[in-house]
Amino acid sequence: MINAVLVFNNNGQPRLTKFYTQLETSVQQRLISEIFTLVSNRPNSACNFLPLPPLLASSSKSSTPTTPHNDTPSLVTYRHYATLYFIIISTSTESPLALLDLIQVFVQALDGLFENVCELDLIFNFETLHATLAEMIVGGVVVETQLDRVVEGVKAQGKVAKRPVNEGKSGLGLGGFGRGEGVWAGR
Amino acid sequence: MFEKSLYDLIRGLRNHKGTEKEYIAESIRECRKEIRSNDMDLKSTALMKLTYLEMFGYDMSWASFNVLEVMSSPKYRHKRTGYLAAVQSFRRDTEVLMLAENQLKKDISSPTPTVISLPLNAIPHVINPSMANSVLSDLLPRLTHSHASIRKKTVVTLYRLALVYPETLRPAWPKIKERLQDEHEDPSVTAAIVNVICELGWRRPQDFLPLAPRLFDLLVEGNNNWMAIKLIKLFATLTPLEPRLIKKLLPPLTRIIKETSAMSLLYECINGIIQGGILEAVEGTSDGEEIARLCVGKLRGMMIIEGDANLKYVALLAFERIVRSHPHLVSQQQDVILNCIDDPDISIRMRALDLVVGMVNTDNLTAIVGRLMRQLRTAPTVSSTENTANDRSGQTGLGPYGEPDDSDAEESLRQEKRSDQPPPLPDDYRVTVIRRVLEMCSRDTYANITDFEWYIDVLVQLVRVSPATKTASDTDEDLDIEDVDDVSHGIGRQLQNVAVRVKSVRPEAVEAAQSLVLVDRRDQMFPSSGNGGLGVLEYAGWIVGEYANYLTNPDATMTSLLHPTSTQLPSKTLAIYLQAVPKVFASMAGSEQVSWTPERKTLMTLLMARIVHFLEPLSTHPSLEVQERAVEMLELMRLASEAASGTVTGDAYGDFTDPPLLLTQAIPALFSGAELNPVAAGAQHKVPIPDGLDLDTPINPNLNTLLAEAEQEGFESDEDDVYAAYSEPPASHPSTAPHHTPAADRLDVPLKEKEPTSYQNATEDEYLDPDILARRKAERRERYKDDPFYIDPEAQQTSRPLTPLGSIVRAGNEEVDIDAIPIMDLDLHHTSSRSASDPHVGRTRSPRKAPKRVEIMGDETLGPSDTGDSSAREDIVAPRRASAAAGKSKKSLLQVDSSQLGALSLEDDGSGPMTQLDIERKEAEEAEMKRALMEVERLRLEMQRASERVEARREVVVRKKKKKVRKAEIDGEEVVVPVGDEGGEGREKGVKKKKKKKNADAEGKAEERDKDGGEDGQEGVVKKKKKKRRQVVLDDEGGAE
Repeated sequence: MINAVLVFNNNGQPRLTKFYTQLETSVQQRLISEIFTLVSNRPNSACNFLPLPPLLASSSKSSTPTTPHNDTPSLVTYRHYATLYFIIISTSTESPLALLDLIQVFVQALDGLFENVCELDLIFNFETLHATLAEMIVGGVVVETQLDRVVEGVKAQGKVAKRPVNEGKSGLGLGGFGRGEGVWAGR
Repeated sequence: MFEKSLYDLIRGLRNHKGTEKEYIAESIRECRKEIRSNDMDLKSTALMKLTYLEMFGYDMSWASFNVLEVMSSPKYRHKRTGYLAAVQSFRRDTEVLMLAENQLKKDISSPTPTVISLPLNAIPHVINPSMANSVLSDLLPRLTHSHASIRKKTVVTLYRLALVYPETLRPAWPKIKERLQDEHEDPSVTAAIVNVICELGWRRPQDFLPLAPRLFDLLVEGNNNWMAIKLIKLFATLTPLEPRLIKKLLPPLTRIIKETSAMSLLYECINGIIQGGILEAVEGTSDGEEIARLCVGKLRGMMIIEGDANLKYVALLAFERIVRSHPHLVSQQQDVILNCIDDPDISIRMRALDLVVGMVNTDNLTAIVGRLMRQLRTAPTVSSTENTANDRSGQTGLGPYGEPDDSDAEESLRQEKRSDQPPPLPDDYRVTVIRRVLEMCSRDTYANITDFEWYIDVLVQLVRVSPATKTASDTDEDLDIEDVDDVSHGIGRQLQNVAVRVKSVRPEAVEAAQSLVLVDRRDQMFPSSGNGGLGVLEYAGWIVGEYANYLTNPDATMTSLLHPTSTQLPSKTLAIYLQAVPKVFASMAGSEQVSWTPERKTLMTLLMARIVHFLEPLSTHPSLEVQERAVEMLELMRLASEAASGTVTGDAYGDFTDPPLLLTQAIPALFSGAELNPVAAGAQHKVPIPDGLDLDTPINPNLNTLLAEAEQEGFESDEDDVYAAYSEPPASHPSTAPHHTPAADRLDVPLKEKEPTSYQNATEDEYLDPDILARRKAERRERYKDDPFYIDPEAQQTSRPLTPLGSIVRAGNEEVDIDAIPIMDLDLHHTSSRSASDPHVGRTRSPRKAPKRVEIMGDETLGPSDTGDSSAREDIVAPRRASAAAGKSKKSLLQVDSSQLGALSLEDDGSGPMTQLDIERKEAEEAEMKRALMEVERLRLEMQRASERVEARREVVVRKKKKKVRKAEIDGEEVVVPVGDEGGEGREKGVKKKKKKKNADAEGKAEERDKDGGEDGQEGVVKKKKKKRRQVVLDDEGGAE
């Protein structure tokens, strides 16, 4: 299952924190900080999987090859879009490559809701950000992976607010996604 | 008054760069005020702002009651804010959770789908067992809600409910199963159910076997890749239980591997085949070969594909899973895997590192270790300050601060981005590499090592690259934990271990230890910066002491041990040093063959004076261990120097004069009693207590007088006997005698038979420092100096007798008279067999050859060795043991514990076989229920009598009226009862009972039949109180029917 979904920007400022277990606020912040340290040092060519941050690493070493699964979070997957890092922490029951696609769906859904989404949209509409995530993941289990249904689900909850006009949006239009159009086509 | 919206707050934050803290503090103050207002809009906005700030770590637990208020607002907008705040801020200890229960129940039953979604999303975050029981009945009907989105969320919510309250699954599972079997169900609901089953599946795979046919159909026909991945993962846990599945699964899996366009699905298919044991099951058949080739081929393809590091990473993950079961498949891919060790990406390196630890063998050990060593040696060290600069906490503080440049935040997210910095080689990675090297080499008591001299050199090299430890060496006695974790201790332990276990390289090990101990070589032997590697001194100090007679330079060693800087060492190391000093001294002073000349006397006296000088200040050392040893040694040295100065010296060139016996006999005897051998952990416990051993009575009742006598006796007279008695091991100790000599001793192989191993799979100059290399070369040259065929510095040959040709070659550049070269008869038979191992051919020879036989002492133990112990053995791979053990007991931070589910069977209640425990529990429940019933009956009769007495005095009219009221109510009930009283519906009755309460008090009529059909032992003590009224109701029903 998925243990946490985090979004923070290039400076490590959180934009979305969702922990599917109850965790002390200070511990949450420490974890974000540790992951940010790990993620911000990654080179361009590096893969999208992080080694476990110290807070999580201590307890996962006991996992043995004899038990293929357990409840311990063992996988930290991330993707970096423009100014934001999207991170998913999960156990071994999730497929690493599929999680990458899941993040892609999430971002595409946000893009569908905000039209050429950027970090500012998410700052000012963090409720919508949460709502979008809630359409995809409930209690750490993925409930929807189809883009249109996610968007539909969020829209059903009410009008999605746009970014305030005077915040301006200039010099954008970096159209097109890096990877394939179909959600599942690439990987 | 002007109130800020969330938008204002965020803008404010962005406009208050530098003073965010004050701004936030003020905003929270405002929120505190606003949240108490009666205006729900204001309240909700304040809550929204608090939730936003919570994301940055600002506490909002004080607002939990207000969260409830906003949640209960009738407006959806407020509700949504309230629920979000609850999810983000409620913790286990939040007290208002109890109050939230009713709100949750109410919203679950709402007619609006969007409202139902809110509690469905929130329940997984806030649920506790008592609440779970209560909301369960409201959740169950939602499984058949008309909206698919509600159904799928309900399924997941029920799963999370089951994690805290496993009983949830009893009523819920049959319904979920029904959803799954329904072919007309919305695909997304089916996918959600599959996701949940996948989570449940690995806990109790046997419960899901009956579903296999349906799941198989879904896999074959399904076009949802996410679900297919989950199905494959699920099947991988089912196949071990149901081998027939394998045959069925193979065709579709093969088809998917060949056809799918989604790499994730392809990968999971291979993974499933590996993990489900399908490879083993079909081994030997043509199908099996094909599938194995297909899988491994695809994995290899993932490794070598250009530009996709992710595939490399997951392929390594997959290899790691099969390395234990299919080492041959993995070793075929050794080339690509080894390349990953040097991958610039640290994640991939780590995976590769884990993997190679599993695949080392005698042949590739040197190559793999060589690569890792080269990495450690050549990679630039990252200073730790650089690291923290990137740390968010290292910045001026946390906060939702505005970005330095707004346009940054407006960048479209569409472009996935990756930074370009080169990877650092952080210290913890270095530590991991060193640990892995030690782990690989020491596995199975050095089963993979053929050349221990090489290993010693590797260890020495490791000391030089070991990173600095974080805790500065403290002289106090707060030892351990971090100390033990320090990787240099691991290296030291290995060096010690080799010195003890491998007799043949003991001189080399001692040499290495000596070079580590020598103070003037410290700059060279240890990392130039930081305090890395110093932990190894503890072990090196022990080795130079224990094997002092192997020392090539005892004087210098002694000088280093007594060096003033030694007193600055950690107390643990210092204590070891103190023990080593007299040992080295004993070896230096102990020779009894050398005459006691004035020269020798002066040297000894001087040496002892130095030792005393070193020890004196330490007798007041804060560490008790150091202090005690210092005092002991000090006294011993004073005695010895007295003895030395008291003994008359002989003529330097004249007759032999005996040196003082204290120096030649007594002190050496203190340390050279018995050979130290490795002893298995736990062997001590197995030593049987001999019969008749009485540990209680004093051996000599006159101990005190004995000691006093001993004190008076001189040392000169009969010290030999006294010391011999103490130092020599008893010849026939009852317990250790049979095991005294290791069996391996008898298998001793003469040293010259050993052949040097090949070094061709790794060039040493890549990973060993020049000085170590130079020494190795010199040693080799020395060894082969008489070998006429020795040309190649990496030769393979043991020394051979000097031949005429050899002497000519050695003659160097002098003119060689060709005629002078004698013509030899060549024994062709002999040489042809030789030529196979000729050094010139040796270069191209395969590295695979019979491993050199080096005698490695095993652990001594008594009785059957117990395998469980060996894994926990301190002296083999100790570094990670402590932390692993600690980790096992500790729950991971983000972990959602599902272990409770393991105990719950999902079999249908009736058909499922009951365990003994279940039966016992049921019996106990029934017995208790019987007791409760009897008690209730007794109370009922008492009350009945009492009420009869009261009623006798009451007026008839009143009674009649009451009777009427009751009748009416019974009529109403008749409609309700048949709906759902099947046995488990105690709750519904409970509600009815409450209604009944008002007028039930007057009714105390005797009821004969109190056998209660609905009674099934599910309600406990609570029921007792309600019992009486309930029986009244039932009885009336009976009458009405």
